[in-house]
Amino acid sequence: MSLGKLLERILQLLPVLLGVSLIVFAMMALTPGDPVQIMIGDQSVTPEQEAALRRDLGLDRPIHERFFLFVTDAVRGDFGESFYHRRPVADVIAERLPATIELSLVALIVALATAIPLGVLAAIRKNSVLDRLATVGSLLGVSLPGFWFGILLMMLFAVHLQILPVSGRIGYSSEIVPITGFLLVDTLLRGNLSAFWDALSHIILPAITLGLPMTAILMRVTRTSMLEVLRQDYVTFAEAKGLSRRRVLFRHALKNALIPTVSVAAIETGSLLGGNMIVETVFGWPGLGRLVVESIFLRNYPLVQAAVLFYAVTYVLLNFAADLLYTALNPRVKL
Amino acid sequence: MTRLHRIALASTVALCAAMPVAEAKDLTVGFTLDADTLDPANHRKRETETIIRNLYDGIVTRDANMQVVPEIAESMTQVSPTEYDFKIREGIKFHDGTEMTAEDVKFSLDRITVDGAMGDGQTSPRQGLMGPVDKVEVIDGTTVRITLKEPWPILPAMLPNQQIVSKAFVERVGTAGLATEVNGTGPFKLVEWRKGDAIIMERFDDYYGGATDIAPVGPACVDRVIFKVIPESASRVAALLAGDVDIINDLPAFSVAQVKNAPDTDVLTVNGTRSFFIAMNMEGEIFDDPKVRQAAAHAIDKQLIIDKILAGNAASIDGILSPDAFGASELPAYEYDPEKAAALLAEAGFPDGIDVTMDVEGAFKDTAEAVASLLTKAGIRTRVAVGESAQLTEKWRTEGEPKSGDMYFTSWGNGSLDPFDIFTPTHRSHDRGNSAGYANPELDKILDAAAVEMDAEARAAMYREAELIVNADAPYVYLWVPQDIYGVSKRLSGWTPSADSRINLHDACVE
Repeated sequence: MSLGKLLERILQLLPVLLGVSLIVFAMMALTPGDPVQIMIGDQSVTPEQEAALRRDLGLDRPIHERFFLFVTDAVRGDFGESFYHRRPVADVIAERLPATIELSLVALIVALATAIPLGVLAAIRKNSVLDRLATVGSLLGVSLPGFWFGILLMMLFAVHLQILPVSGRIGYSSEIVPITGFLLVDTLLRGNLSAFWDALSHIILPAITLGLPMTAILMRVTRTSMLEVLRQDYVTFAEAKGLSRRRVLFRHALKNALIPTVSVAAIETGSLLGGNMIVETVFGWPGLGRLVVESIFLRNYPLVQAAVLFYAVTYVLLNFAADLLYTALNPRVKL
Repeated sequence: MTRLHRIALASTVALCAAMPVAEAKDLTVGFTLDADTLDPANHRKRETETIIRNLYDGIVTRDANMQVVPEIAESMTQVSPTEYDFKIREGIKFHDGTEMTAEDVKFSLDRITVDGAMGDGQTSPRQGLMGPVDKVEVIDGTTVRITLKEPWPILPAMLPNQQIVSKAFVERVGTAGLATEVNGTGPFKLVEWRKGDAIIMERFDDYYGGATDIAPVGPACVDRVIFKVIPESASRVAALLAGDVDIINDLPAFSVAQVKNAPDTDVLTVNGTRSFFIAMNMEGEIFDDPKVRQAAAHAIDKQLIIDKILAGNAASIDGILSPDAFGASELPAYEYDPEKAAALLAEAGFPDGIDVTMDVEGAFKDTAEAVASLLTKAGIRTRVAVGESAQLTEKWRTEGEPKSGDMYFTSWGNGSLDPFDIFTPTHRSHDRGNSAGYANPELDKILDAAAVEMDAEARAAMYREAELIVNADAPYVYLWVPQDIYGVSKRLSGWTPSADSRINLHDACVE
């Protein structure tokens, strides 16, 4: 891809971001529910006190003025102050982000590491017992609600077998000074192996719960695409040449069969970030998803706006990455 | 491995096991929400206050029976209807070792009550909780006087909601710093706040001991306290059963038996402070007739629902006040009588019954469905419509603006257990929580007078009078006050739940 094309793609981001800002802003503003009333809750207050709170939250200005302020501030990287945390929204989000990204990445790894081998196996042993099991399994994987599956895993591994913790990100005996914010990386960088195992034991259940639907989708994509590739002439030719089965499968077939898998995985990673909300709530995972859900109920406008903007940017960038990967894997396609 | 080696190894292991190991005693609370901020003056959430209360002490606090007792103050005297004096104890230290003075108390209260005192022109969101404070002064070295603009009898009941910060510390770190840094006088010091995950505290060894009226007095029992954030109730129960936490709040009624039957856990309950009721839109064409509202009250078998759905964990009410609240009294009850309900409906001109919709938040759908089926049996054919809290609040709490809708299954919290904070907002014409659209000038007069009446007996009598008026008018169907349910580990001692939903861990111990 030329530099010009790259720039063009990046420029395309701008209208998307402006559009997303407008939509989120309008949706939050038009949804019934007054942040000031919610914040005061069940209390007797004077109208003056209510007005003061409204002014402090910046909600006394007309809506178009608020939107203009939001956009001009956002351009400068200022997303305002969270109504509840009373700190810059960017700080609050930045504190929660590493946990969300770490969980998503581990879930992605879990998904890829199980989906690809299973998908390939199911394809080369088409209609075998294994293939059928994998197909039924993937159907279950897509249809099981994450909430229910997570609690099931928790009851089994944490409550009955007591081999994994119920919730949280790491135990409270070890203090890890952050480097990257990813505990699995930081504990290793600090050479603290016991803390690494501790962090790993905490992430296993949420990562499996989060990664399950993606595993199921990727497995089916891999299987279908592998089956298709195996029917291609060049594979038959490679077999006719007398190449070993292993060489045909892994050198010739798999490389091409993985193209759709990789691009679907890149796009699905965006939904992993979104799907975090439920898994983070079930496992008490201190990530962004949970914070956003809480903020929506409380009508914490600045936080929701900034977070949704973040999700949108990530999604667009991941799509872009998927395109790049696609061209890299398949030189016939030009962007 | 030789035999000798084995013996040596075995004896080392035995020796290690026999040696006393100094293990830190941690008490972990599985808690629904993280703190929004650690600044005692800059938040609006009960859960945030529950956490902060273990780090910061207040001028006064509440004992297990919800009585207000001095904490940082030595004594409290009401000088006049608008003046309260607090003699501040000497020798109390902040976590950084500096001594707390009356100036710190004045500074802390000014931060909450003075307009724009939070910096950047912002006013504390907790200002409303302090009522009509005119000024706070230090009148001699150790006495702080709060002067009110007008009498406000519930000041002592509201004061436990505020905590004392160090003036020097706040001036150093600023309001921004106080959001994440702590220098209080409470029984625990902040170790680390893992945002969204946990707040880790350790015992403050120089603690002055806390309220003298609440034994034991002295430093906290446990070495560390961890508030671990577990928002999902099934996960909190799992954490308790797995032994990961020692206390969980908000145990759902349907998990009570499971926690009770487990070998290492138990259930503790306390009367809550939140009254549940059904608002009937008195501006509408159906519920403007008191007979229809009385019919609804007669149609609901409260005890049946308390027993079957709330697992017995609620107290039935016949007025807005909790049985534990100031001024609560026995009131005539609308007995469960579906036939009488049908008769009242017929008298009101609805011999064939009525069709109505009842709004409810998702969390209470089950209960509302049960109520609806009882209403339906008596001829008030009720459809339950689930809405989101913020949306329903806007629809029903219109502060005098026109209202739509028929019925609203809702509740109002009353942490101070004083009628001023629940009776007035829900019943005074056009007030914030008046979702029924009830307007009775006679009642307004009584409520306004009671709000500033200083004589407790006379004040209680006024609320009694108000309750009787409301009882006849029936703007709401008063349902129940649920108990707060906690799950605890059997290794925990010295802690009982408190009606104001605080979890003060100063006196709690773990084995």
